[in-house]
Amino acid sequence: MFTPLNVILFGVVGLLGVGFYGLLITRNLIKVVMVLQILIKAVILALVLAGKLSGNMGLGISTAATVLVADTIVAVVGLALAVQVRRRFGTLDVPKISTLRG
Amino acid sequence: MAGILVTLVIGLPWLGAIAVWQAGNGRAKLQHTLAIVFSVLTAIISLVLLMFASSEAVIQIPLGVSFGELTFVPDGLAVSLTAIAAVVGSLAVIFSVDYMHGDTQLGRYYFLVLFFIGAMIGLVLSGNLLFTFFFWEITALCSYGLISFYNDDPKAVAGGIKALIITQVGGVGLLVGTLIAYVNLGSFQISVLLEKATTLPSVPLSFIAFSFLIAAAAKSAQFPFHTWLPDAMEAPTPISALIHAATMVNAGIYLLARFYPAFESVPAWTMSVLLVGLVSALIAALSALIATDLKRALAYSTVSQLGYMVYAIGAGGVFASQFHLLSHAVFKALLFLAAGSVIHSVGTRDMRRMGGLGQRMPFVRNVFIIGALALAGVPILNGFWSKEFILEIGLEHSPVWTYGIMLFGAGLTAFYTFRMVWLVFFGTERDQLHAHRAGLAMRVSLGILAAGTFVTWLFFGGLNGLLSTTMPFHGFEHESLLEMVISILSAPATWFALLIVGLGFGISWVRMKGFKYFGGGLLQPLVDTSFGFEPVNTFVVQGVSKFAERLRATQTGELNWNILGIIGGLLVVLVVLWMGA
Repeated sequence: MFTPLNVILFGVVGLLGVGFYGLLITRNLIKVVMVLQILIKAVILALVLAGKLSGNMGLGISTAATVLVADTIVAVVGLALAVQVRRRFGTLDVPKISTLRG
Repeated sequence: MAGILVTLVIGLPWLGAIAVWQAGNGRAKLQHTLAIVFSVLTAIISLVLLMFASSEAVIQIPLGVSFGELTFVPDGLAVSLTAIAAVVGSLAVIFSVDYMHGDTQLGRYYFLVLFFIGAMIGLVLSGNLLFTFFFWEITALCSYGLISFYNDDPKAVAGGIKALIITQVGGVGLLVGTLIAYVNLGSFQISVLLEKATTLPSVPLSFIAFSFLIAAAAKSAQFPFHTWLPDAMEAPTPISALIHAATMVNAGIYLLARFYPAFESVPAWTMSVLLVGLVSALIAALSALIATDLKRALAYSTVSQLGYMVYAIGAGGVFASQFHLLSHAVFKALLFLAAGSVIHSVGTRDMRRMGGLGQRMPFVRNVFIIGALALAGVPILNGFWSKEFILEIGLEHSPVWTYGIMLFGAGLTAFYTFRMVWLVFFGTERDQLHAHRAGLAMRVSLGILAAGTFVTWLFFGGLNGLLSTTMPFHGFEHESLLEMVISILSAPATWFALLIVGLGFGISWVRMKGFKYFGGGLLQPLVDTSFGFEPVNTFVVQGVSKFAERLRATQTGELNWNILGIIGGLLVVLVVLWMGA
């Protein structure tokens, strides 16, 4: 049951679950950035796992490293946006600042 | 060698498109020059390519598992249409130098024209159905962009969108047919479809055949999709000559001619093709009788003449349709360009305001009359031979009542042609219009096309040889020019037709004398609604847009709802995968 493979798989699924759950219920922009980070961590873990399973460890790790870099940028830009949003609108509540309604 | 030529004939116009665009709108002279150089070079290469026709693919590019091979096959049908597209294209570009003089957006104009020429050539040369579809869609987009070229005019924008929507129906038909063929044959190659069509089960083959018929009818503005072409006349006139008379609208005819051997045995298919052509030819000719807009009248006559070609294919005369296509491309381009120089000169398209222009524009009057006589089918002009050829085949291979209706259509053609010439160039001047003579560039292209109207029927033997030697599936019979001339002159069909054409002229003459120029009478309400199809179009479009309005409710703008949708979609995919596995 608790083979390393299974542990990592549970980790991936668990992180994805936490991430999606967070995205579903959160209304705070900073928390949105945080749960996005959790989601991406799940993806990175899955990439490494896929590398291990396919016997192509190098490819898995290098892809994971690439995603890591991109994801840092997402975090930085996301938080910077959150700061700007707070300054302009005076709130971090996502529905209140939404202009996407069709 | 042929491979290089094929690459050049598609690549050069596209290269030219980028070059003209990059030249910038500030340098009009450079743009005109570049456009002429690239289009004329393409035309020359397309003529050279005629000598390298073969039924083998000359370019083969493997594209991986799902797309098969991109091939280009310069067989007779392809190279003859390539030559028509490139030559008429270059003449339209030369004409544009005068017509578009002083326009500030030449970059966009020439980019779309040259891009169109390349795509049209790719469409006919491609041996891979999927790429035929891609090129097909590019031509539709270029046509849309050029119809709506004067994009500050709401009528032009509406006409462009209408053309785009209706030709998309055809595009979907082509794609569906292509995919059904792929599922059943495992290949996108046209040659494979032609070869194995007889081994296909009858249901998928019928689906392919009728999807292609829908595609062809929508592209060639045939019944019941005939409503878009007259509205497309908001385009600059060289575009009407090139895209909406000589090339793009022929793509449908090309598709039917290309796949005729494959679909011949499908029950009711040839009869459907015959009827589509018949109905289009008749109702478009009736509409042309009372049109007051010069370009609309020509557009109706284009639909009508395309109807003759479709009718010929339905009657089994694939070669006759291609022969008429060649004649029609030349004389209709001539008519459109001549009409263009009239419109450019007097600044209106309304025939009610014209009249008596012949004396002030003698050259344009003469070439327009030549084109009009060819359209009406008066002897020794190219339209006469090809139309009689179609009628002869119609009499031999189709029910006699359809021949009768087509004959009636020929009479109507003579009638509206005479009316058009009379209203524009003869009679009294009905309005104070400022007319000036056509410019040099206009005269050059008009002169070449007028000469072509006299001589293209002499290429009958060459075209026949080209098609019969390189198209193994069609089984074309060898027929020389002399045999064609003798068989037409000795056929009773010809003399009937000439009688009817003469009658059409005669009635027209009497009516003109009686000064009943514009009365629509009973026809007017029918033509205004495109014989009842305009309300259908409106209904469909409004239905779709109302449905889209309802769908707005799903766009809540709430991030959390969107996430729920994404997760729901993911779950559906997972369930489908799990069920499938």
